[in-house]
Amino acid sequence: MIAFKLAFRNLFNAGLKTWLNVFVLSLAFISLVFFNGMIDGWDRQAEVDTKDWSIAEGQFWTPGYDSYDPFTIKESHQVLSHEVQQLIKNKQVTPVLLTEATAFPEGRMQTVLLRGMDVNQDILKLPLEKLKGKKNAVLIGSGMAKTLKLKKDDELMVRWRDKNGTFDAITFTIVYIFDCDVPSIDYGSLYMDIEALRKLTGMDNEASILISNDKNLTAIDSWVYKDNDFLLADIKEIISAKKTGGYVMTFFLLLIGLLAIFDTQVFSVFRRQKEIGTYIALGMTRQRVVSIFTIEGATNSILAALLGTVYGTPLFIFFTRHGISLSDTADMGSMGITASDIIYPYYSVGLIGSAVLLIIISSTIVSYLPSKKIANINPTDAIRGKVS
Amino acid sequence: MIVETKHLIKKFPVGKSFFTALNDINIHIDKGEFLGLVGPSGSGKTTLLNIIGSLDVPTEGNAHVLGKSIKDLSAKESAILRNRHIGFIFQTYNLFPVYSVYENVEFALLLQKKTASERKTAVMQALEWVGLTDKAKARPNAISGGECQRVAIARAMVKNPELVIADEPTANLDKANSFHILDTMKKLNKELSTTFIFATHDEKVMKFLDRIIYLEDGKVINDETIKTESL
Repeated sequence: MIAFKLAFRNLFNAGLKTWLNVFVLSLAFISLVFFNGMIDGWDRQAEVDTKDWSIAEGQFWTPGYDSYDPFTIKESHQVLSHEVQQLIKNKQVTPVLLTEATAFPEGRMQTVLLRGMDVNQDILKLPLEKLKGKKNAVLIGSGMAKTLKLKKDDELMVRWRDKNGTFDAITFTIVYIFDCDVPSIDYGSLYMDIEALRKLTGMDNEASILISNDKNLTAIDSWVYKDNDFLLADIKEIISAKKTGGYVMTFFLLLIGLLAIFDTQVFSVFRRQKEIGTYIALGMTRQRVVSIFTIEGATNSILAALLGTVYGTPLFIFFTRHGISLSDTADMGSMGITASDIIYPYYSVGLIGSAVLLIIISSTIVSYLPSKKIANINPTDAIRGKVS
Repeated sequence: MIVETKHLIKKFPVGKSFFTALNDINIHIDKGEFLGLVGPSGSGKTTLLNIIGSLDVPTEGNAHVLGKSIKDLSAKESAILRNRHIGFIFQTYNLFPVYSVYENVEFALLLQKKTASERKTAVMQALEWVGLTDKAKARPNAISGGECQRVAIARAMVKNPELVIADEPTANLDKANSFHILDTMKKLNKELSTTFIFATHDEKVMKFLDRIIYLEDGKVINDETIKTESL
């Protein structure tokens, strides 16, 4: 305890120098928490949005279907069994029929995916009820509308092949444009009533995938189950990559803070040699003096965490309430990244605790390295300031 | 007996050879003595003080301080000896610059894990001995050299040690301050029977000493008990 008491006393009495070190270190602490909080917030939002708009509690794929391979779409459809129909009726799953097509907006050609879905489903957030009672109607996402320069009530000619490979075409009306943060839902798809698509393709009572609303449902006859760990893997990977980038930035900030402490410690051991000799003369062992100097350095990090909490808390509360707008800086959706226009950071106890721990441990190490030289100092030389 | 040295030799490595700083020192010092080690620079005064203060160990022979064999003390035992029984006063005061006068004096007691009230009583008494109760809150850089040395005396005396070691305590002080400091130490010597050992070549100090051990080239050349100025 005495080592802590003396270390605190030395630090507080050292005045401005202490606070400069503490301030730099607190910046590293705050940026570490801020950036990781933003990434965690984004991670949570992306996961929630993807589940709400795209995958719910898991998907069942037709055997052979691969969402990464467009060539598998054509053959990926099968007749719904009695069991599946019962699950649909119980609202445990909702069917989706996929058909590749080509749209011709303003005479240009664009490959699109026709997604036929149940207009009465309530598993996903998609506003499919807007299609009710409307013939040749489709919904599109706002990102796609922007890309293809389409707006509500515009007409869009679409050509597709039916199940026999015969080309057919029709002009759809865009009855609604929805906002969605999930690029795989927003971009490249036209949403229509599944019954209408079944008629257009001749795939009566068929579907390509089933979206599940039931966590416990993991097997339906020949359908291939894909859980959320699999379906969210891409997002996790992108976020993990972003996190690594953030760690690099934080590492450099932390490095600056730790260098300041290291420099102070090296300078202290040299400049305060009389003090070190006097500590020993007054009855301290060398090891105890080493511990005082180490604790002094480490205490910088505790003060940094406290200072960071003082000015960081209102900042974090502000960002948690108002979020951080990304709309002006990057169109994440067009890059295929699930991110809303405003990210609401999430600061967990675990995140803050681990940031505090990281700063304390690293600053203790950099404080100890120069301080351990004290163990070799001759106290009689140190008292007279003759240690070289 | 407070201190006894037997055939004490201290050598320091200089390049490939050794420099003999102390050569066959045999002295004994009794409780309550006010004694000076006198001699020119390089005569071995400070080296002998460092060994008596358990800050250094002899190369050959031994020193017994308060019944402890300096050569055989572990680092921890030697730290305890210094903390509980020996007070140090240095030429350059060696006060902690970031501590107040009160905190500087309190330091040794903190190591002894005394309670706050015990510390306060002892510190205020020590400051009263040296006449600095009004400067308790000041930092060392806000007081004069003479006052700094008085703080150092208070720091050495606050734990009521049996032995105080003072290495050239008046070297940086003017005549008036030197007199004040020596007067204070002499009073404490009389009142508390604390043994004082000085290393000095200051004639002002010699006038106060009861016994002078003359050192030259690491050897004792004279050991005389003298009649000092009355206080």
